[in-house]
Amino acid sequence: MRSIFRNPLAVAGLCIISAILLMAIFAPFIAPYDPDAIHVKSILLAPSTEHIMGTDGLGRDVWSRMLFGARISLLVGIVAVGIATIIGIFLGAIAGFYRGWVDTVIMRLVDVMLSIPTFFLILAVIAFLTPSIWNIMIVIGLTSWMGVTRLVRAEFLSLRNREFVLASQTLGAKDYRLIFKHLLPNSLTPIIVSSVLGVASAVLVESGLSFLGLGVQAPQASWGNILTDGKEYIEFAWWLSLFPGIAILITVLGYNLLGEGLRDALDPRTSKN
Amino acid sequence: MLSYLLKRLFWMVPLLVGISLISFLIMHLAPGDITSTEAGFNPKTSEESRQKLREMYNLDKPVVVQYGLWLERISKLDFGHSFASHQKPVFWEEKDKDGNITKGMIQEALPITLLINVLSLILIIAIALPLGVISALTQNKLPDRAITIFVFIGFAIPGFWLALMLMYWTGVSHHWLPISGLHSLGSDKLPWISQVIDTLHHLTLPILISGLTGLAGISLFVRNGMLDVLHQDYITTARAKGLPENTVVYKHALRNALLPLITIFGLSIPGLIGGSVIAESIFAIPGMGKLFYDAVLMRDFPVIMGILTIGSALTLLGNLLADLAYAWADPRVRKGVSS
Amino acid sequence: MALAACHQKPTSDHVDYSPTAPIEKGGTMIDALSGEPSGLIAMIAGESSASAIASNIFNSLLKYDKNLELTGELAQSWDISSDQRTITFHLKPNLKWADGEPLTSDDVIFTWQTVTNDNTRTPYGADYKLVIKAETPDKNTFRVTYKQPYAPALDSWSGLHILPKHLLQNQDINTTSFARNPVGSHYYKLDQWKSGESISLSRNQNATQGQANIDRLVSRIIPDRAAQFLELMADNIDSMSLNAIQYARIFPARPDLNEKFSLYKELGNSYTYLGFNLKHKPFDDVRVRQAINYTIDKQEIIDGVLLGLGLPVASPYKPGTRWSNPKLKPYEYNPQKAIELLQAAGFEDHDGDGILDKDGKPLAFEILTNQNKEREMTAVLIQRRLKEIGIDVKIRVVEWATFISRFIKTGDFNVVLLGWGLGVEPDQYNIWHSSQQAPGQFNFIGYQNKKVDKLLEKGRLELNPDKRMKIYHDFAEILLEDSPVVYLYAGYGLPTMHKRIKGIDSPAPPAGIGHNAYEWYIPKPYRRNEMSAN
Repeated sequence: MRSIFRNPLAVAGLCIISAILLMAIFAPFIAPYDPDAIHVKSILLAPSTEHIMGTDGLGRDVWSRMLFGARISLLVGIVAVGIATIIGIFLGAIAGFYRGWVDTVIMRLVDVMLSIPTFFLILAVIAFLTPSIWNIMIVIGLTSWMGVTRLVRAEFLSLRNREFVLASQTLGAKDYRLIFKHLLPNSLTPIIVSSVLGVASAVLVESGLSFLGLGVQAPQASWGNILTDGKEYIEFAWWLSLFPGIAILITVLGYNLLGEGLRDALDPRTSKN
Repeated sequence: MLSYLLKRLFWMVPLLVGISLISFLIMHLAPGDITSTEAGFNPKTSEESRQKLREMYNLDKPVVVQYGLWLERISKLDFGHSFASHQKPVFWEEKDKDGNITKGMIQEALPITLLINVLSLILIIAIALPLGVISALTQNKLPDRAITIFVFIGFAIPGFWLALMLMYWTGVSHHWLPISGLHSLGSDKLPWISQVIDTLHHLTLPILISGLTGLAGISLFVRNGMLDVLHQDYITTARAKGLPENTVVYKHALRNALLPLITIFGLSIPGLIGGSVIAESIFAIPGMGKLFYDAVLMRDFPVIMGILTIGSALTLLGNLLADLAYAWADPRVRKGVSS
Repeated sequence: MALAACHQKPTSDHVDYSPTAPIEKGGTMIDALSGEPSGLIAMIAGESSASAIASNIFNSLLKYDKNLELTGELAQSWDISSDQRTITFHLKPNLKWADGEPLTSDDVIFTWQTVTNDNTRTPYGADYKLVIKAETPDKNTFRVTYKQPYAPALDSWSGLHILPKHLLQNQDINTTSFARNPVGSHYYKLDQWKSGESISLSRNQNATQGQANIDRLVSRIIPDRAAQFLELMADNIDSMSLNAIQYARIFPARPDLNEKFSLYKELGNSYTYLGFNLKHKPFDDVRVRQAINYTIDKQEIIDGVLLGLGLPVASPYKPGTRWSNPKLKPYEYNPQKAIELLQAAGFEDHDGDGILDKDGKPLAFEILTNQNKEREMTAVLIQRRLKEIGIDVKIRVVEWATFISRFIKTGDFNVVLLGWGLGVEPDQYNIWHSSQQAPGQFNFIGYQNKKVDKLLEKGRLELNPDKRMKIYHDFAEILLEDSPVVYLYAGYGLPTMHKRIKGIDSPAPPAGIGHNAYEWYIPKPYRRNEMSAN
């Protein structure tokens, strides 16, 4: 694990994510204004010392909204991936541990889900259920567990016949104990990598849904809907799209760098030099 | 090889059933009576179209029976007609009694989406291959880092934002490229070669953007695959035998690293067929993504279910082809050493 | 850029479009549509994009002129019988369809039969079903008889596109391919429809209403509004309807755009309102509705959301027209009065949580609106004002299909933020009469008032304009007092047109700039380079 600190890109990713997480957590203390405070007299002001990222179409302070939006965007990403990971671990563990027909059924389900264009599924479900932050998180989670399932299953299959597992099994260890005590801890690495990368994708999916009007609802701010608000004035009120655009870019980049760095550091093959 | 093919074909059946089941369930996900979902105020129409819907989907029967009947219809490739678009056939063209042909909606949209995505896939490969190889050969040095950051930026930038900025820059500030659409007005009067150039001109930005987004996946895949292979025994042996480094890298390592790429292409097929809702909306391209999004907004269930089913079935077909190609290229698979 | 040679280039960056030039025929005008019409038979299709294009292809019997007075289109004149139950339309002589066939009263009665046929899937049949007898005494005369006088009758005949019998008589109107390949009688005919891309019309040489000046009208389908505006700035489309920010902020800051485009401001055709579900508590209490009305600062919404480009309204009629009651004033912004009214209704902050409550239930509700930037922003402003006096409001934005099917038709909503049209015809029976509350009908807020019912019934029977005006003034007064909806604003329509197009009335007449589109022209030097083979 220490070797990750030798990878400057992973370190950069970690720094970016930590900084943004801190900003999101301490948003109420950092934000100079109430993110929802409307000032009809100061609509679409360009960045200035008073409003460092300018104001939006209702005169709200963009910097304050960006800080609070970070909470929503990251929350969507993290909870969605959390859901996907839990489902993935559960199904993958069962498939890899018990094998046989259970494995077959689960892996066919994975194949089915992988062959349906996922974004279509998300779109239809959210439109039918009406968008809300919870629906968005749940639906993204329910449509992105297939990768984790495959990973966990593969790890379990390879660990299953290792001596330490067989030994504890002959000693009469219960299945759940085997799974949680021996197999799962030993397959955490790929799960962590794929979760980190998953957050990045979920943040992007949220912004895409916002673009289509199916994202987090007003007046709640998310980076996706601030960016969407600004899309019609990309050149005139550039601050409305530039800052959220860059925020999404940097965050997703951070998660990717960290995820890829972790993979490199933890994968014995690629880290050999 | 034949038994492998038969086995694969056999496994497609339960998958197709699963796909159709999910597509079918989507329709039942809409809250309330699905027959009340017509988009508009209109007491009379809705009662009529409700009746039509009930007949079409046998809604008075138990759900299992409904599903069975629907399965029977789609097995005959009968995907019905759109509710929203004046009864256009969902899948394939139809002729009415006066001989007027009405094109199918998927029939019109699919080629456009396929064209864009195949072109962008070609672009991705053309750029990602060299980037991945350079990355692997300069592992953890400056070029590797720079390439990694570059491809990740491409992945991380919100596509519609980049699209709008590029549209402004190349279309408004400079008149280099068309902003949206597929053809210039009146382009059908041009000779075919100019028409092709005109269309490519319109597709430059969409392809560029989807290419940029997809770069990271493939280039990292090539990089890691190369690294993997470069550390294997036979490469070490080859090096030890004193083969020139170029031969080692390009003849032995790259070839073996590229094999798994075939599978990656198989996996990218849902995207190829599904297209991008966002890019198609922003560039005004009438492809599958736009068609699906409009259908969702209009609650046009025959179109929604048709696209999900046909899209997924084509994906399965694509995966099958990819697997066959893989098996053909890698004899180990054929011999039954399953992954 | 070798490819640039075959790409459509702008005429030039330095053309001065301001001088006028003599009228010439020819040229192409391009606009943008956000959505593709499902067909071009307006009575079936129903979307605004469909009627926008279809109204260039089809004629009605009557039309509204630039001052919104009724005048003949296919009809040369019309008589109303002395018992006011029968209207006789005399068609203009020698009318023709675009394919050269004669257009006669047979086509008119065929259209009437179609729109009233129970198999025709149209929401617009109700007006025409009141006709108890339709007849064609000769090729040029069409006569309809109503059971009792029906004041909105003439208006209804200005909204029905006459369809060709010879092409449609053995077809199923709901599915016919005619919808994508129509033949009409107006200035233009369909030239080419490229699915998902564009719809091109060309001048109808057989038009009997006169010949339009511009040769071709092209509507490009560009779903994204941001992309539309980029296309406008790049001079690839000639007209677009702007939003307030584009009109009031971007254009003044961009002299280059002002050189190319003219801005117009026309009184919009709709108003935006906050409607209460009167079947739900506490909105059945008029004091609660009035209190909310007093809490909403309409001027703030107009200034903030519309940047001043809108008017407050106090009745469901266009301000300044005869139907609008000049005595009525919108509820002023008066939170103090609101608090008193709520107190009288039993709402006070008993538990000290900052939210008013009654019988232990907090005064909290959800404002439901559809995906529309202006409405979303308006809802946010209202939410803030209501919060200030202790009403807890949430906002839910859903797309249109869900909005209608999930919430409106089921009556499962508390408060909606929506718009209604401001038509020329004052009859609003469908919206406010207590009989119009079935699922799918327009009185979905459940408004019931016996006096209003009476007035609406009376208004339909009264043909004398002055007496009619009095009826609708009284109706609007009761409606304002009852406050079943809070009138928020009527926004201006903000079309912009490229200066290459000449002959546009400025300032916009009451009917809007589009009323004389057939007289618009594009002088040769200003035209775009047409795509050609060389």
